[in-house]
Amino acid sequence: MPRVNAIAELEGLQQAIEAERQGQRVTIGLCGGTGCLAAESAKVNQAFRDEIARRGLEDQIAFRMTGCRGFCECGPVVEIRPQEVFYVRVRPEDAAEILDGILADKPVERLLYAHPVTEEKIVHTNDIPFYKRQQRLVFRHSGLVDPTDIRDYLALGGYSALAKALREMTPEQVIAEIEKSGLRGRGGGGFPTGRKWRSTREARGEPKYVICNADEGDPGAFMDRSLLEGDPHCVVEGMIIGAYAIGAAHGVVYVRHEYPLAVKNLTIALQQARDYGFLGPNILGSNFDFDIRISRGGGAFVCGESSALIASIEGKPGEPRAKHTHMAESGLWERPTCLNNVETWGNVPLIIERGADWYASIGTRKSTGTKVFSVVGKINNTGLVEVPMGVTLREIIFEMGGGIPGGKRFKAVQTGGPSGGCLPESALDLPVDFDSLTEAGAMMGSGGMIVMDEDTCMVDLARYFLNFLRDESCGKCTACREGLEAMYQIVSDICAGRGREEHVSWLEELGQAVKDASMCALGTTAPNPVLSTLRYFRDEYEAHIREHRCPAHVCKALITFRIIPERCKACLLCNKNCPTGAVSGEKKKPQTIDQEKCIKCGACRDVCKFEAVEVQ
Amino acid sequence: MAGSQHSPSSNGKVGAVLVVGGGIAGMQASLDLAESGYKVYLVEAGPAIGGAMAQLDKTFPTNDCAMCTLAPRLVDCGRHPNVEKLIYSDVLALDGQPGHFRARVRKRPRSVDPARCTGCGDCSAACLVRNRAYFEPAEAEPPELDPGQLAEVDRIIAQYGAEQSSILPVLQDINATYRWLPPGAVQHVAEAIGLPLARVLRIASFYNMFSFEPRGEHVITVCTGTACHVRGSDRLTATVERELGICHSQTTSDLLFTLECVNCLGACALAPVVVIDGVTHGKVTPDRLCRLLDGCRDSKPVEAVGAPSQ
Repeated sequence: MPRVNAIAELEGLQQAIEAERQGQRVTIGLCGGTGCLAAESAKVNQAFRDEIARRGLEDQIAFRMTGCRGFCECGPVVEIRPQEVFYVRVRPEDAAEILDGILADKPVERLLYAHPVTEEKIVHTNDIPFYKRQQRLVFRHSGLVDPTDIRDYLALGGYSALAKALREMTPEQVIAEIEKSGLRGRGGGGFPTGRKWRSTREARGEPKYVICNADEGDPGAFMDRSLLEGDPHCVVEGMIIGAYAIGAAHGVVYVRHEYPLAVKNLTIALQQARDYGFLGPNILGSNFDFDIRISRGGGAFVCGESSALIASIEGKPGEPRAKHTHMAESGLWERPTCLNNVETWGNVPLIIERGADWYASIGTRKSTGTKVFSVVGKINNTGLVEVPMGVTLREIIFEMGGGIPGGKRFKAVQTGGPSGGCLPESALDLPVDFDSLTEAGAMMGSGGMIVMDEDTCMVDLARYFLNFLRDESCGKCTACREGLEAMYQIVSDICAGRGREEHVSWLEELGQAVKDASMCALGTTAPNPVLSTLRYFRDEYEAHIREHRCPAHVCKALITFRIIPERCKACLLCNKNCPTGAVSGEKKKPQTIDQEKCIKCGACRDVCKFEAVEVQ
Repeated sequence: MAGSQHSPSSNGKVGAVLVVGGGIAGMQASLDLAESGYKVYLVEAGPAIGGAMAQLDKTFPTNDCAMCTLAPRLVDCGRHPNVEKLIYSDVLALDGQPGHFRARVRKRPRSVDPARCTGCGDCSAACLVRNRAYFEPAEAEPPELDPGQLAEVDRIIAQYGAEQSSILPVLQDINATYRWLPPGAVQHVAEAIGLPLARVLRIASFYNMFSFEPRGEHVITVCTGTACHVRGSDRLTATVERELGICHSQTTSDLLFTLECVNCLGACALAPVVVIDGVTHGKVTPDRLCRLLDGCRDSKPVEAVGAPSQ
């Protein structure tokens, strides 16, 4: 592996790699993200490699296992380039047929994506509704690069942005460019990145640090994971450019414990970057020294908060501190520190390469660029989408997301993780950016979007979030620690049928107190899920309290399972599958459920083929 | 209770009371009796009266400070002419009957003449052994690790360096190697890095990934993130509870299974997600989960099963 000692050598290296690959007219990209891996894409990988080797096609066909393509619902996915033929749900045994298809230049019909409504088969990636409206910039390399091979990244022009910054721009000019682009933090806070860099640069203290926050604790969000697993060099390059601009000598990537593949791929990427001279002393002959190390999280949600994260790196419990002094002045080891989210760093090479004006032309005036969203929950096309800021919720959920499965009705979308809120159907035409959702009582947050249908109980959801937050609260502030516990008890009572009329006003009062008296953003935003569900779904709370009824048939204390005699065919499947023996009846006669024994697990409803089990 | 003053010879009762224990209850009882005219012998094993309450900050239910309740009684016991205090003393034997008995009390040597002591405290300040809260054992007790485990822990510490900022990666590697944090290992780490044991325990107990109890051979991790919750992860945890009898963070008594609930593994598109022994399974139903558990029991290798037919 040749070390690139001067900026001038970089282009030569990139061209050499491209020349090496001239003969490979076709590239097959198999998705190796966690989603597709769980659908056995590792076996598909082996099958392709074996088949290509068997046919002696290595020189003509490049095969790569790449990062997450975002279309997790239909994994494992395979894309053939340059034709841009897209295959879904590929099994190991399909490898041979796909290769035949490439050689004959004829796509394999049965593996193409079928439009959910027209059932028409779609051949090309960008014709698929999921991809059509997306603008994949941060994720532009996913599907094209093997994250464990830096040469793939270089072949596509990787590290050119770094070379440009080092050769043509002073640190001040880099910061000015980022400021002009309007880039705002993608972790949820939306703080102007350029301003943060400038404050850190101007602060006094040596050495300075740059940190990449890869703690991604928001349940339902996996954008950062996919970027780190699939295109780690993009983030690394961003950090090096940032360190150059700020004057930092050390970088840390804080990855949460639950992302072992991200840690693995990032470790490989960092070592390769060092081998090639992009990290370490005298980067590209510019006299700039910088290196990055990885710090793993311990499984605490609160460590996604910047001061808690820094405490964790320093070997202390992850408790946030009051931020009258910002991280930019006193952060890691009390030195000036610039902490940014994975996606934020990922945007940096783009901006330097193509210019701030181009970047600012995408998105809205105050929220420039694209944003990656994880669209999950009760939705047909679960996965990751990257769209310009300002696209509406309706477009994301119904056009790209493909709507609600099973023909069910949309009820709400939860955005912004536990700090955000739930928005009802009336809010679907709101544009998604940093500011528009806040007035409606939610926030864009880090990009997690959880879609819910008529079978989701909003009170139960509020209880779920309160449970999560009270568990993850660090315990420092009394309002957060005690207030969330009290709110959780109240909502649990409501779900259990012990709700009282005054509970709703208590929740509102407690929520306000927690917001006012908490020190960090976990506490101040913790009441949001409850308050937003109260705002838009008050009727559900009232049904629970006044009528002892759960409209979505979820809260176990308020529902009963019943077998409809007219529909029961006495197949006895429910009888056999009931864990408590609550289902009984004679053979060939309709079964009945003993309410005393029924634990409302739902097993009978799952196995019944005749829809004879109803929930009231 | 205030009774009439019968002479001992008429009904055998003596007008003196022995109160054993000089805490708040003993002091209150002594004062009540002393005010009623009884002679009280107040025996206390410790070197001072006041008891455990003197060590408390606030008391239930009024949150009054303990000293505010205690101090008047301390002073009154101290000066009441009817209360004779036998401090730093033990009751060795009682014989006789209720109402007329003899007690043998041993006063432990204190090397101070109470008649002349003014309580100035100079002797305490000058004492050479005063600041030792406890006596260190001559040698540190060996941690409960066998030599192989000790060597492994030392290797991990050496890899990251014996300093405070290494504490988290060191504990993480120990947790990964042994599937829990053996107490001997934690103690050894504290000594090697030079941190108080309490501090290391504070850090270890703050983070959810560490277990202070041995974990089972098969770790079942159910994702309880929002996307998985909305798609029914509750039913999966309920299934494990029913089938194996364990809740979150518990291990079966045969050390075969441990259930962990994690708030979001980041595989939300596959909700609900269960990871068993490091293998991720997506779109898991309670039925399939039971089959996976059976597979573990039969020691079949656990394979990632793809999403069921759409």
